[in-house]
Amino acid sequence: MRYDSITDAIGNTPLVRIDPEVHGLRTIDLYAKLEMLNPFGSLKDRAAWNMARDGLAAARERGETVVELSSGNTAKALALIAGLHGLPFKSVTNRMRIPEIKDLLLLLGAEIEELPGQSECLDPTDTDDPLTLFHQRLNRPGSAHFHTDQYFNARNTEAHATGTGPEIVADLDGRAPDWFIACVGTAGSSTGVARALRVHDPAVRVVGLVGEKADFIPGIRNADEVQQVGLFDPATYDTIETVGADDAIDGMVTLLRRCGLLAGPTGGAAYQGAVRHLRAVEDALGEEPAERRTAVFIVCDRVESYLGYVRQRRPELLGHAPAKNSVATLTDTEARTATVIDVADARKWIAEEDPLVIDLRGPFAYAALHIDGSLNIVDELFDEMLRGGLPFGRRRPVLLACPVGERSARYAALLTRMGHPDARSLAGGIVAWRDAGAPLVRD
Amino acid sequence: MSTAGTNTAGTNTAGTNAAGADMPGTGPVGAGPEGADTPGRDPAGTDVAGAAGEPLHLEPRLEQRPAALLEEGGTLLHALVDALGSPLNVVLPDQIAENAERFRAVFRRHRLTGRIFYAHKANRSSALVRRLVTTDAGLDAASLGELQHALASGWTGDRIMTTGPKDPEFLWLAARAGAVVNADGPAEVEQAARLVRAYGLPRLRVVLRLSGFDTSGTTVLSRRSRFGTPARSLKDLLDTVDRHRDAVEPTGVGYHLDTTSLDEKAAALEGCLHAMEELRARDFSPRAVDVGGGFGISYLAHAGQWDRYTTALTQAVMGRRPPMTWDGHGYGLRMENGTLKGALGLYPAHRHLAGAGYLDELLSRPAPTLGGRPLGTLLLEGLHELYAEPGRALTDQCGLTLGRVLDVRAADRGEHLVRLAMNAGDAGLEDHGVLVDPVVLPRDATPTTATGRPAAVHLMGNLCLESDLITRRTVHLPRLPRPGDLLAFPNTAGYCMDFGATHAQRQPVARKVAVHREGESWHWCLDEQYWPITRPGGPRT
Repeated sequence: MRYDSITDAIGNTPLVRIDPEVHGLRTIDLYAKLEMLNPFGSLKDRAAWNMARDGLAAARERGETVVELSSGNTAKALALIAGLHGLPFKSVTNRMRIPEIKDLLLLLGAEIEELPGQSECLDPTDTDDPLTLFHQRLNRPGSAHFHTDQYFNARNTEAHATGTGPEIVADLDGRAPDWFIACVGTAGSSTGVARALRVHDPAVRVVGLVGEKADFIPGIRNADEVQQVGLFDPATYDTIETVGADDAIDGMVTLLRRCGLLAGPTGGAAYQGAVRHLRAVEDALGEEPAERRTAVFIVCDRVESYLGYVRQRRPELLGHAPAKNSVATLTDTEARTATVIDVADARKWIAEEDPLVIDLRGPFAYAALHIDGSLNIVDELFDEMLRGGLPFGRRRPVLLACPVGERSARYAALLTRMGHPDARSLAGGIVAWRDAGAPLVRD
Repeated sequence: MSTAGTNTAGTNTAGTNAAGADMPGTGPVGAGPEGADTPGRDPAGTDVAGAAGEPLHLEPRLEQRPAALLEEGGTLLHALVDALGSPLNVVLPDQIAENAERFRAVFRRHRLTGRIFYAHKANRSSALVRRLVTTDAGLDAASLGELQHALASGWTGDRIMTTGPKDPEFLWLAARAGAVVNADGPAEVEQAARLVRAYGLPRLRVVLRLSGFDTSGTTVLSRRSRFGTPARSLKDLLDTVDRHRDAVEPTGVGYHLDTTSLDEKAAALEGCLHAMEELRARDFSPRAVDVGGGFGISYLAHAGQWDRYTTALTQAVMGRRPPMTWDGHGYGLRMENGTLKGALGLYPAHRHLAGAGYLDELLSRPAPTLGGRPLGTLLLEGLHELYAEPGRALTDQCGLTLGRVLDVRAADRGEHLVRLAMNAGDAGLEDHGVLVDPVVLPRDATPTTATGRPAAVHLMGNLCLESDLITRRTVHLPRLPRPGDLLAFPNTAGYCMDFGATHAQRQPVARKVAVHREGESWHWCLDEQYWPITRPGGPRT
């Protein structure tokens, strides 16, 4: 397929059936709308392009910056679209909670402003919400902004009413599905798709999913936060249900490991919420319906940006067996067998036998003050080096130093276990060295 | 009241009676340190007539000391209010020592030395200040009066940090006593240096308070602050300090940010590590980084209750359920064109991360411009000490405020108006946006079966003023209080006890007592008569 612009490749995403063996629904066919296959990587490509397209030329003439309140995918799409049209892009946000996306946006050339957190000593008269603060910033004199306004812009909804929704109907041979399940963020996709589907069949049931308040799911608002969204209208949904971060990860793992879909947690939440809702529907059925019914959910984006999110909540999903030559494999008893040497003896030893002195602290602390002649190998790097074997010969004695003599003792024990005959740890570390009045230099 | 300090009350018999009967419906209050095991009142399924809807409880998180006092000490607390009047503040000095130890444990976990300075401004109590002097904590004085109080309570200058706006007398006394001065900017450094020279004082230790730190990558915005020197003006500040080397010694740098956001604080701490390097490069020998306070308290026992309450409040503001507050007050939220606007002007009453745990998390945060190493590790590696100034967090669970019920009457919509012998200034919870249920302490120890049904009430103060509501929230109590009962407002010791209390209308300001539990009995003395070396209530045989 040949295109003049990458934006022409937005939309027309596949609708893929989920194997019934995976979801276990007896009478319902479940389909995933793979919005992650849009060129910028998410569902938001449609809204971003539809909101921006007609304003870009004028914005460029006036030298404006494209601005949006976004924590992720909308910002990503707009950053790329802005770059494509020679415009700068800025995201103002109080919700940027995925560090990988933050870094990616910076790589794409976006500027990011994060709004301040809540006051600890509360001033009850200060009730300006982040959206108000954001609009105030945009309306400052001299500000030249093209604000796409995803939470209130009808063109967000329209992108799905004319794109995502009709595509689903076309792929289901001209029929609307019986259920449409969507996570609610800006409410643009759920509202737009629902509108298009109901034109075909007013009986379609729309399930909106919002996040639990205890934790967050990227791209989904919780029950309170959706009320701040201009596009959100509770009447759009037949029911609104909550999903938690655990549901999102469970669903994501199913899509990854059983369905061949590289879905992120938002798609996982949609899958898990869909199956839970539809299973309850089946359980409530008296008898099997005459014909099979269909349901569609949206896979919003891909998994790669969310490894930190998973690591924080389910480290076991990323579990590795510890490497052989690593301090993590040392028992406390082994660690206690390290040879330690106090400051006075260490000074004598350095003068007489010239051991290799390795300072395991960070480079910043080392640059500020260190033992003269010592070599700085930061602990995590040292750990890495030791996995491959001893990085120095056995004949040269080694003195290890860390801030208080604790980590250095573990590494001394590890070096001994690896066959080094004379590895010692500085007792009390650099702190004890300083407190004893021994010289520290910066050079 | 010269004999009051030697009174002893709270005996086995009184305690036992109160325990069984005086706490209808609340169940055992706060079992573990987190109160997690508390069999809470079931928020659903309890029928309350009227427009306020189903009861939405906000049960306080009560640790063992205050929980035991409320459970066993009803008779004592009634006797104290009878004698000393309503309102009455109660402090638990032993708790603050335990809280300081929790912070110290976080220091130990990160192998850090330094000092935990109690921000005295959180509470005027003498008992808390005097109990803490026996620990290894320091004290943060923010006024001449607080500094005098600390010195008179046994603190020595080496353990005192002075912060905030300083008049010349405050600055002079701090320098005279050898306290550290947390200096706001060049002008204060110069003023201090002049005083040191004019009065031949020893070289003054100063911590340089910085603000407005740069961040890498994204721009992290912070609220504008009245205090501190912008980090980018550090060079000018150091020029000033350099000119006064003979009089002032910069022992470190610090920040104090009014935010709950860890990101902002991590950025500030990282900025301070860079500033320490600047000081060393200018040939100073700084020792400490001061991370200020703002570690917070989790006031509620159950996250679920807080989530349900705030969701219901949003629904009420959107007109989808009956109002939950006096006159439909939205606590900062409002509806415009069918969309929710404004921001919830409430303290996050349930926090997963507060107090010492918050400091732990801050120290575990990576510093992106310093190789991604954790901030605590960087402090340790840089051979820096850590200073912290918790106020609210150190006073967690350290006290409560008692108010006598004067009048109970039915209002329209099935709610009741409960008038108390206290006003909104006496329990500053509402002023700080802290929503937490009071505990009812009945006057008479009636059998639990005769306690009645849950009730929705509005709590009115004793001022002749429409706005004098103890809280604008409709409060759901396990049963309707009666005149003579006490309401105990839990966990008021941090800023909510005497910070905003006034003599308006010549209404009495609360007295304060310190209580101490020994075995099965409770002992008390007036706050000003508490000394840590004497048992409250005097020696016993």
